[in-house]
Amino acid sequence: MAKGFFTDTTICIGCKACQTACHEWNELPALNGGVTELSGSSYDNTVNLNAVDWRHVRFIEQFPDDRAQTGFLQGSRWLMMSDVCKHCVRAACLEVCPTGAIIRTEFDSVYIQQDVCNGCRACISACPFHVPDIGDDGKAHKCTLCYDRLQNNLEPACAKACPTDSIRFGDVDELMAIADQRVLDLKAQGINAYVYGKEEIVGGLNCFYLLVDEPEVYGLPAKPELPSENVAAGLGLSATAAAAIAITGIVSFRKSRMDDMAADQQRTTGAP
Amino acid sequence: MTAVIALAQFGVNPQSGIANAPHWGWYVVLYFFLGGLAGGCYFIASLLALLGDPRDRPAIRLGYLIAFPLVVICGILLIIDLGVPLRFWHMLIESQHVPKLMFKGWSPISVGSWALTAFGFFAFVSFVGVLVASGRIRKPLLVRLDARAREAPRPLAVLWGILGAFFGFFLAGYTGVLVTASGEAVWHNAQLLGALFLTSAASTSYALLLLLLLRRGASCADPTLTKLARADRWAIALEILVLTIMLVGLGGLARPFITGGFGIVFWLGVVLIGLLAPLVLHWRAHHPGDAHRNVKLAATCTLVGGLLLRFVIVMSPQWPTVKPWFL
Repeated sequence: MAKGFFTDTTICIGCKACQTACHEWNELPALNGGVTELSGSSYDNTVNLNAVDWRHVRFIEQFPDDRAQTGFLQGSRWLMMSDVCKHCVRAACLEVCPTGAIIRTEFDSVYIQQDVCNGCRACISACPFHVPDIGDDGKAHKCTLCYDRLQNNLEPACAKACPTDSIRFGDVDELMAIADQRVLDLKAQGINAYVYGKEEIVGGLNCFYLLVDEPEVYGLPAKPELPSENVAAGLGLSATAAAAIAITGIVSFRKSRMDDMAADQQRTTGAP
Repeated sequence: MTAVIALAQFGVNPQSGIANAPHWGWYVVLYFFLGGLAGGCYFIASLLALLGDPRDRPAIRLGYLIAFPLVVICGILLIIDLGVPLRFWHMLIESQHVPKLMFKGWSPISVGSWALTAFGFFAFVSFVGVLVASGRIRKPLLVRLDARAREAPRPLAVLWGILGAFFGFFLAGYTGVLVTASGEAVWHNAQLLGALFLTSAASTSYALLLLLLLRRGASCADPTLTKLARADRWAIALEILVLTIMLVGLGGLARPFITGGFGIVFWLGVVLIGLLAPLVLHWRAHHPGDAHRNVKLAATCTLVGGLLLRFVIVMSPQWPTVKPWFL
């Protein structure tokens, strides 16, 4: 049974307990050796998912430029989302990994085997969600869905720590049913909510989200594509180019031979 | 023109996500460039061996002599570029199930690793063959093997040449396909990158052979150089065509390549110096007085342009996360 997260962004309070729990459990060091660099982007100082931040809480401040015209808090909102590896059903990183370091576990999660990864960085280039990153040890890192905790019947540290249940862990099918019901409830309240991560997103995401704005607002691609979709076309076009180069090469080399033969004939016949 | 634009934009998804920078630097740029040269030189040598005449023998030998050392350098560049270089063999062998081979047909790097290995074999055999034929290696066993190989029926020799050239061209072109297997929008949608790198590999290889033959004292009027120069012009023309279609197809997505500092390198270094100048210089080489200088200059420009092309394609989308001097 596939396991995953349902992240309901409407009840995220931006406390970063998930980030802290992830660091704590997985013994991840602080970014920049613990030296805080203010990003200037709201309360977000880790900016994106990386080799040491496998959870990232995004803060999106939506306030009109002229609040005097709209009234106090009118048309204003503050969106928060705890981002993580999506453990995609069709995972780009797993597809391109040339060493077999990236595998699918018995929980249907996508896991990087650190003893196999050789740091080729193909996964980093391939992932359309900005997830894997190269660590100081030269190997690729990302969320493991707390594989060690799952093997001991424990839920991942981030979901365990989330105080509002914005991050729920469980069977993906059950979580999706909960998400669909939540969307209906929110729509009944006039909120335009939807689930990001159904099948149209690279075959489905085991870690999916309930959003109330366009995916790009949350830093998510609206229509992510798998790298493998390009490979056949790219190879076909390369083969065409190779054929064109071969033909022009043959023509060029043959023409010289024809010119030589014509010159020889001219010499033997004495024709002008 | 509308049809060309429509064709080029086929399959373009402007909403593709933007991935983290894979931190590909100069090791990768040089690998793409030298890999193209290795594959291209082997292809040209094979084509000359199949279609040329005895006067082309120095060029054939030179092509085979260049290809193998370049493949070795490519391998070294790839290994030192890895985060954990000592695990390079994980690309070819399943590290957890030794000696089971590691191959993923849908992973460009996996296929490329095997193509590099296969091409390395062909390049090595041809390299040794040239050294034996020229008398620089006199080991009796190798001399006997070389003699047996030369007595082989013509179809076998043709097959060898075609297979070696195939792997050489694969090495030259797959690097572009590897780049397109990316979540980065500009790379992901540039489906012609493989074709572009391949045509560039051909033009730079013709240029390298021309340059080295001239340095060895050959004349521009030599039949071999005439052939190579003519084929080089064709390759450059094809490269311009592929590059134009690719840029038109990418539209606004091509911005990282053609604007800012990288844009200056692209327009000046790649287009003007690397593509247009060699065409003009080759054309001017018809004037006997300047031929030697013009062909030499054209070849140098083509090589510089080929290197800068890969630099711009690889580095510009990663800016500013990855600096232009990143190894």
